[in-house]
Amino acid sequence: MTPQDQSPAAANTPVTMKDLFAENPRWCAGCGDFGILASVKRFLIDRQLRPEMTMNISGIGCSSRAPNYINTYGAHSIHGRAIPVALGIALSRPDLHLFVHSGDGDSMSIGGNHLLHGINKNFKCVFLMYDNEIYALTKNQTSPTTRKDHPTHTQPQGSFLNPINPLTVALGLGASFVASSADWIPDHLTNTIKTAFDHPGFAFIHISQRCTHFDPANFDVKTSEWFSFLKHANGIEPDKRLAAKTEIVDHDPSDMTTAFKFAASDRRYYGLFYQNKNKPRYDSVLHNMITNAPKKDRTKILEPYNI
Amino acid sequence: MSIEKCSVTRFELLMDAGFGAQKAGDILLAAFVAMGEYVYVEPLIPAEISPPARTPPALSGIIIRLADFDVTNIGNDTDLILASHEVVLNRRLEDKEYNKKCTILLDAGHRESNPDSYDAVIQHCTNEGLTITLFDIDPPSRAIIADLSGKGLNLYYLGMLSYIYGMDEEIVKNEIENTFGKKFNPEVKAKNIVLYHNGYQLAKSMNLLRYKVEANPRQGEKILIDGNTSLAMGIIDAGFKLFSGYPITPASSVMHTLAKELPSYGGCVHQAEDEIAAIGTAIGSYLGGVPSITATSGPGLSLKQEFIGYAQMAEIPLVVLDVQRGGPSTGMPTKTEQSDLPAVIFGSHGDYTKVVISVSNVIDCFYAPHMARYLTEKLRVPVFILSDFQTANSYKVITKPKVVVMNAVEEIPDFILARFHIKHLTTNIEMVRKRVSIPGTPGEMHRVTGLTTDAQGKITTSSVSSQNSHTVRNEKIHHVRRALTSPEIFGPETNDLLVIGWGSTRGALEEAVINAQKEGVKASGLHLRIVYPLPLVLKEIFAKYKKLMTVEVAYGDQLKPSPLALLLRSETLTDIRPMLSEATGRPIRPKIILERMKEAL
Repeated sequence: MTPQDQSPAAANTPVTMKDLFAENPRWCAGCGDFGILASVKRFLIDRQLRPEMTMNISGIGCSSRAPNYINTYGAHSIHGRAIPVALGIALSRPDLHLFVHSGDGDSMSIGGNHLLHGINKNFKCVFLMYDNEIYALTKNQTSPTTRKDHPTHTQPQGSFLNPINPLTVALGLGASFVASSADWIPDHLTNTIKTAFDHPGFAFIHISQRCTHFDPANFDVKTSEWFSFLKHANGIEPDKRLAAKTEIVDHDPSDMTTAFKFAASDRRYYGLFYQNKNKPRYDSVLHNMITNAPKKDRTKILEPYNI
Repeated sequence: MSIEKCSVTRFELLMDAGFGAQKAGDILLAAFVAMGEYVYVEPLIPAEISPPARTPPALSGIIIRLADFDVTNIGNDTDLILASHEVVLNRRLEDKEYNKKCTILLDAGHRESNPDSYDAVIQHCTNEGLTITLFDIDPPSRAIIADLSGKGLNLYYLGMLSYIYGMDEEIVKNEIENTFGKKFNPEVKAKNIVLYHNGYQLAKSMNLLRYKVEANPRQGEKILIDGNTSLAMGIIDAGFKLFSGYPITPASSVMHTLAKELPSYGGCVHQAEDEIAAIGTAIGSYLGGVPSITATSGPGLSLKQEFIGYAQMAEIPLVVLDVQRGGPSTGMPTKTEQSDLPAVIFGSHGDYTKVVISVSNVIDCFYAPHMARYLTEKLRVPVFILSDFQTANSYKVITKPKVVVMNAVEEIPDFILARFHIKHLTTNIEMVRKRVSIPGTPGEMHRVTGLTTDAQGKITTSSVSSQNSHTVRNEKIHHVRRALTSPEIFGPETNDLLVIGWGSTRGALEEAVINAQKEGVKASGLHLRIVYPLPLVLKEIFAKYKKLMTVEVAYGDQLKPSPLALLLRSETLTDIRPMLSEATGRPIRPKIILERMKEAL
């Protein structure tokens, strides 16, 4: 399925931060998206991934602007539908490094169906869910992850329902990789992206993200007692800067039952909840099907219809 | 009784769904073709899988038009109907597509338990002046059919029809063998052959009027193919490598064929979780530089609209196949209509148009994918292929199309462009954004977005950039407008009446004009394959006719122009009215076109 006029990934010069600069982001000052963007770029530099071989795909929302701010190939698509577009890339261009950027409204509301099937198809990509727990670009409406009783423009009495928990959703859907991090712990977030990138399948990363404009009180980034890090030899290293200041819990990422327990807890846990490297990948299934199909001569396609 | 020699005749087999009417049709079709005759087949398919037997929705059947010439449409009226019981017969009589001399053969097997409704339908036929003959399946055959749980009835009827249409029993038996295949249970197959033979003998004993259409074998290599299969093979020939779809009637069979075939040609089918995802993945693939296509019908077209606008704005090539069905909403999934025209040209929010290619027959189906790929890659705008239920499901024998094996759009042969009445596009087509290189190209990195951008791809709300991007997008469509040549015209180039159609009405329109000329009716026809944009020469052509009217399988009345009439009026400032614009779900008949032509003049 590879295109015929694909240019070789050349260039021996190292990739620098300058190379990845596209334009200054148009986010509000103090927005958590800056931290996530920085971690993504840091990872691309650390790994020296060629910009021409990297593809960032997003939906719509504050966070979905991210691809516009990284000088790789990219598509800022439509609301909730980054996953189908990304799958098109995964099928047509398995040679590219694929990152999907999606907000809480994008992935848990309008695009819920695609997340369900993206996780089930388990195609190779790093899925970054920027969760600021609010609709921000449309100016302060309740999102599926807004905490109960938090007032917004659409539910000024306070959000009516308990929020959807993206981690239990992902685990429940059978995700092969579920991790969590936050925009203000850059080392941990970059390590999480690294681990996700090396995962052979759909790597779901839930990221707590601040919206300083509409909900500045949501995450207390000055303290760290309210969250814990998950730790394991096969997991993600707890953030070095904060490790001493908070609880560290041992958790084997192959243990799904415990993963559910941490995910469903009222307390926040950052780290690798679950990983299964053996889940079949839809993209591989299709590519193998093409490889193994008996080859036919295109000049003879109408012969079966001869009379 | 006598044999009526005719140039063209039409008959129907009506049964309950699930009892093999379609299969009997396939065998008949193959056998007629083997005998050197021409056929055009329209299946009557229920919207459900197996509706309760002996109810009107259960009607499943085939209409076969048989001729000694190359038939282009399903024709006018039926000369003979063979029905398995009075309920399906009654349902079909409602459509009033029989001629006054129509012979009706009605299986009396259900009469004993339903005497009143049988009597009612017999009375109705008599009132209409139709000849109705009841028959009883012979007891040994009834025993075999009971033994096969009702299966095999179709083969019995097939035997009857074989006798009536003077078919060579050996040729038909050979086609039965081919249809059942080698792996089929030989005992069941043998029983079916017995039923076929017994049906043949029954008809022979009934002293029926028989029909004979002379054999007139065509020269050169021939194939037998239906519209959707032809599209599927055209998609492979045009070099598409990904078909991304979601099951929907009547588009699904394109996906079924490609699911089997495409992997052998280096591509694959992706069955998406919904209509929106299907088009999104097609866009993703083209964004990666790999030609892809999505297909849909009815409600699926509505669901896809936002992504169609995205592809236009982000300048990503996209081909959408829309196999139209009865609408609006869920409408009639297994009936034909041409009502999606406004939705494909103008659908989705914001103001932009696309290129719309229509198919008029199974040969167009094979070449439309090449045409669509050429246009979408040159222009980076969404290109539609519009088919419909009728074209999708009509089987035809055609001269084998030339296989192109297109790898790049520059290879498109001139004869395909000529078929769609268009010249090569100019080479200097401007894009909104300068960078369009595919991922993997060093130093050319860029992002696409549905937001308005400047030429560098930077998101902007600048008035200049907004206006400019509209200009560039529209200029792309104008490139096509200017490349379009004169569409196909039937009959004189100056006349009292010009009847205009598009897509699947071509065959009926052409036949109506031929008959009009024979009768001295001063009417010509014009058929559009590319329906949007319209050729600039159209206004000049229209000026040569006194009166202009459209034929469409879509609704129109005195106050509401039908879609094509609306389009032509607005684009040419000509007084064009619908002449025949019926949304009955049934194909347009040449006879009715001719009648309306006479009324209009």
